[in-house]
Amino acid sequence: MRNTTKRLLLATAVVAVVAATAGCGGSGSGDDQGGNQSTGAAGTKEVVLVTYDAYALPEGAAAAFKEQTGATIKVVAAGDSGAMLSKALLSAGSPEGDVLFGVDNLSAPTALKKDLLAPYSPPSLASVPERFRLRGAAGKRLVPVDAGDVCVNVDAKWFADKGVAPPTSLEDLTLPQYKDLLVIESPVTSSPGLALLAGTVGRYGEDDAFDGFWTRLKANGVRVRPSWDDAYFTDYTVSGGDRPLVLSYATSPPAEVVLSEGARTEPQSTVLVDSCAAQVEYAGVLRGAPHPELARQLVAFMLSPAWQADLPLSNYVLPVVDGVTLPAEFQKWAVRAPSPMSAPTEQVADRRDEWVERWRNLFE
Amino acid sequence: MTGPARLPRLAVWAVAAVVGVVCVPVVAVLLAAVRPDGSWGTDALERVLTSSRTWRLVAVTVGQAVLSCLLTLVVGVPAAFVLYRFRFRGRAALLVAVTVPFVLPTVVVGAAVAAVLGPGGLVDARGTWFAVLAAHLAFNLAVVVRTVGVAFRGVPVSLTSSARVLGLRPSAAFRRAVLPAVAPAVGAASVVVFLYCLTSFGVLLVLGGGRVSTVEVEIWVRATRQFDVSGAAVLSVLQLLAVVGALAVYGRVAASARGARGSGTDPSRRPRGAGERLLVASTALSVLVVAVLPVGALFVRSFQLGTVWSADNWLQLGSVVAGTALSVPPLQAVWYSLVSSSLAAGVAVLLGVAAARGVAHRSGGASDRLLLLPLGVSATTVGLGMLLAVGRPPVDLRASWWVVPLVQAVVALPLVVRVVAPAIRSVPPSLLDAAAVMGRSARARWWEVELPAVRPAVASGAGLALVACLGEFGATAFVVRSDRPTVPVLVARLLGRPGAAGYGQAMALSCVLVVVCAAVLALVDRAGRGSGRSATVL
Repeated sequence: MRNTTKRLLLATAVVAVVAATAGCGGSGSGDDQGGNQSTGAAGTKEVVLVTYDAYALPEGAAAAFKEQTGATIKVVAAGDSGAMLSKALLSAGSPEGDVLFGVDNLSAPTALKKDLLAPYSPPSLASVPERFRLRGAAGKRLVPVDAGDVCVNVDAKWFADKGVAPPTSLEDLTLPQYKDLLVIESPVTSSPGLALLAGTVGRYGEDDAFDGFWTRLKANGVRVRPSWDDAYFTDYTVSGGDRPLVLSYATSPPAEVVLSEGARTEPQSTVLVDSCAAQVEYAGVLRGAPHPELARQLVAFMLSPAWQADLPLSNYVLPVVDGVTLPAEFQKWAVRAPSPMSAPTEQVADRRDEWVERWRNLFE
Repeated sequence: MTGPARLPRLAVWAVAAVVGVVCVPVVAVLLAAVRPDGSWGTDALERVLTSSRTWRLVAVTVGQAVLSCLLTLVVGVPAAFVLYRFRFRGRAALLVAVTVPFVLPTVVVGAAVAAVLGPGGLVDARGTWFAVLAAHLAFNLAVVVRTVGVAFRGVPVSLTSSARVLGLRPSAAFRRAVLPAVAPAVGAASVVVFLYCLTSFGVLLVLGGGRVSTVEVEIWVRATRQFDVSGAAVLSVLQLLAVVGALAVYGRVAASARGARGSGTDPSRRPRGAGERLLVASTALSVLVVAVLPVGALFVRSFQLGTVWSADNWLQLGSVVAGTALSVPPLQAVWYSLVSSSLAAGVAVLLGVAAARGVAHRSGGASDRLLLLPLGVSATTVGLGMLLAVGRPPVDLRASWWVVPLVQAVVALPLVVRVVAPAIRSVPPSLLDAAAVMGRSARARWWEVELPAVRPAVASGAGLALVACLGEFGATAFVVRSDRPTVPVLVARLLGRPGAAGYGQAMALSCVLVVVCAAVLALVDRAGRGSGRSATVL
C-alpha cells in the first residue's frame, strides 16, 4: 500500500520533470518556437515582425530582403491592431519579436508609452514626404511605411439595382434613406474605426461629433463590428452580406479587382471621398529586440523601392515614398482624397482615450 | 495524540506557499487599481466608478447571472427529481450526459453551442444573450442536478407518505414536505451557478462576438485592447468584491444544506402512470437538447467545411490554413497544452497535497477560506494579476514559456486542496492513534496510513487539476505568447475570425480537447473509484 502511494507521487514528479524537459527541448530544437531567445539554433537568421492579423507579408520584397541580409522574416500576428499594440505594451522590454509594424497615426502616441520602441531613423527617411512623418519623440521611433486612407465604400451595383442614389457626403450617412445600410468597425479594437472617429472629431469638433454626428449615425442604425475582416467579409453586400456601405479603405476598390483574379474587370464599389480619414502606418524597432541589427535593417528596408512597390498588391495600401510606380488597377481606381479628415496630432495624444470612452458610452 | 499541534513543518510551509501564490495576483491587481501610474492615486477609481457604462455593465453582468441561474433551476430541478427519484432504463447514461459539459473547458462549451447556434447552424445567435444563456445552461446543469438530486434522494419516502396520511394531496405533499427539504440544496446550487456565470469568460468571448459584454469581458478589453491596465484593475476589484460577497452567502447556504441529510436508503422507484412517464420523457428530452446536442453537433460540424462535408478540418490540423492567421499549426498547440498542463497539474498536486494536509485539521480557518477564494476569483483577475506580478523588474518572466504552467498551477491548486483535504479529514482518528500506539512517527503515519487512505482523492484531484489546466482560458489568455498558444486560446482565436476554414478548425480542435479531457477523466475514474466527488468540487 505504502509503495503504491509513494509511486503515485513519484510518478507525478516524474511527469512534471519530463514535461519541463520536453518544454525546454521544444523551445530550443523545434522549428523555432523560441524565436525570441536568440538566433535560430540551426544557423538560419530570422527577424520577427510583430503585426496584426490582416497583415500580409509582401513575399517578393521579403525574398529581396533575404537576399540582401540572409535573414528570413517571420510574422507573428497578435490579433487586430488594438490587440497587437496592447499586447506589445504589456510585454514592453521583453518583446515577442524584433520589429513592430501596424502602429498608425492615431495609436502613435500610445506606442511611445512604456519605452516600447528603440529610437531609430533610417537614412532613407528623407525620401518620405513631410506630411507622412511624425514630429518629436514619435518621429525618432516610428518610420512611416504606407498610407491607406480610411473611407466608406459604396456598393454601387446595389444602389443602382435598388434605384437609390448613393450617398455623396459623410453627413448623408445619417439620412433616413440610408438607414440600416452602413457597417463600421469599432474604434476600440480596429484602426479604421479609430481613424474615422478621430476624423469626425477633427471635422465637427469634439462635442458636435459625439452629440451630433455619432448620435445621428447611431439612430440611423449603423452596425458596429469588432474588426475590418468581420465588417468587410461578413456584412458588406459585395462579400455576400446585407450592408451596402462599409467602412474600408480608399484602396479597396482596386483590391476587389485584384482579389477576384480576373473574375472582375472593374470594381463594384466606389469610394465616398468625403468620408475619407487619414491613416498612415508606421514601423519601429522594439526595445529589447533579440535581433536589433536585423530589426533596423528591416525597418530601413521597408522604405526601399522593392518593399514600397510591393505594398499595393500585398496589403492594398499606397506607398509613402514618392516616385514608386503603382500597379495598373491602383492607377485606375485607387483614390487619394485631396484633404482627408484628421484630428490635430497633439489632440490625438491628449484626448484619444477620452474620445474612445465617449464613443463607448454612446454605443455600448 | 494526533492533534493539529503536531503538524509537520512541511505542511505549514506548503499552506503558506499556496496562500502566498494565490494572493500574489490579487495583491498585484489591487495595487494596479490604486497606483495607476506607479504612484498612489484615485484617477483610475474615479474614471471607472463614475462612468455610467461601468454600472450598466455591472447590472447586465448580475442580470445575466441571475437569469442563467433561474433558467438552470427551471430545467435542473425537475431533472434532478426525475433522475434521483425514479428508476428507468438509461438513467445512468443521462446522469453522465448531464455532467459532460460541466467537465469540458468553457471555450469548448462555447464552441459546442456555436456549432448549433452559430454560422450554418439552426440560427446564428452569436452576439446575443440567447447563445450565452444556452451555454451557461449546458455548463451549469450538472451543478443543479447533482446537488439538488442528492437532496431529493435524501428526502425519506416516509415523509411524503406521512403527509399523505395526514390528508394532503400528492401535489400538496410534494410542495409542503419535499420542497422545503431540498430548498437549502437549491439555494447552494444557485449560488454556485450564479458565481460561475458572474465570472464566465470563455463562453462570452466565444459567443459574445464583441456585442454582448460583462464586467469580466470588459476587464479583458480594457487590459488587452485599450491598454488601460489600471481601469481593468479597478473592474477586477469590483468583481472580486462581488465574488467575496457571493462566497459569504454560499458559506451560510451550504452549511444549512449540509445540515439537512436524510436516510441512506435509495427511495427511487419505477415511474407509475402517464403523468410520471411524461415527466421522465421530458427530462430525457431536455437533457438531450441541453447537454448532448451541442457536444454531438461539435463532432458533426468538425466534418463540415462551409456547407460541404469534408475531413479537411482534421487533416489540416498539422498545418497553418490560409485565412486563419495562426502563428503555429493547431497540433503544435495540442502539444504545448499537454506539456504545460501536465507540468501545472504536477506542481498543483505536490503543493496541493501538502497544503491539504495543513488545512485538513483546521477547517474553517482563515487559510481554508483563502484557499477557497481562487475558485471564485475570476480567471481574468488571476491572469491580469499574474501578468502584472511577473512582468516587472527584478523578475520579468513574461518571455519565459513556463509562465503559462505557473498561472495554470495557481488556478488548479485550490481544486486539489478542495478535493484532498476532506479526504484527509475523514481518515478515522482511531487508525492514526493505533499507528501512534505502535510507535510510528508522525511522518511514518502520514506515509503509511493517511496517504494510502486518501489515494483515490489524490488521483481524482490530479485528474481534475489536469482537466482544469487543459481547459484554462481566462488567465492563460493574459500571459500566453503568440508563438506558444494553448488549445483553448487557439479555439477562441479561430472562432473569433470570419470564414469557414477557421470555424471548421475550431470545431475539430475542440473535439481533440473533448477527447483528451474524456480520456483523463476516465483514467481518474478508474484510479479513484469510490471517492465519487469529481463533479462536486465546490
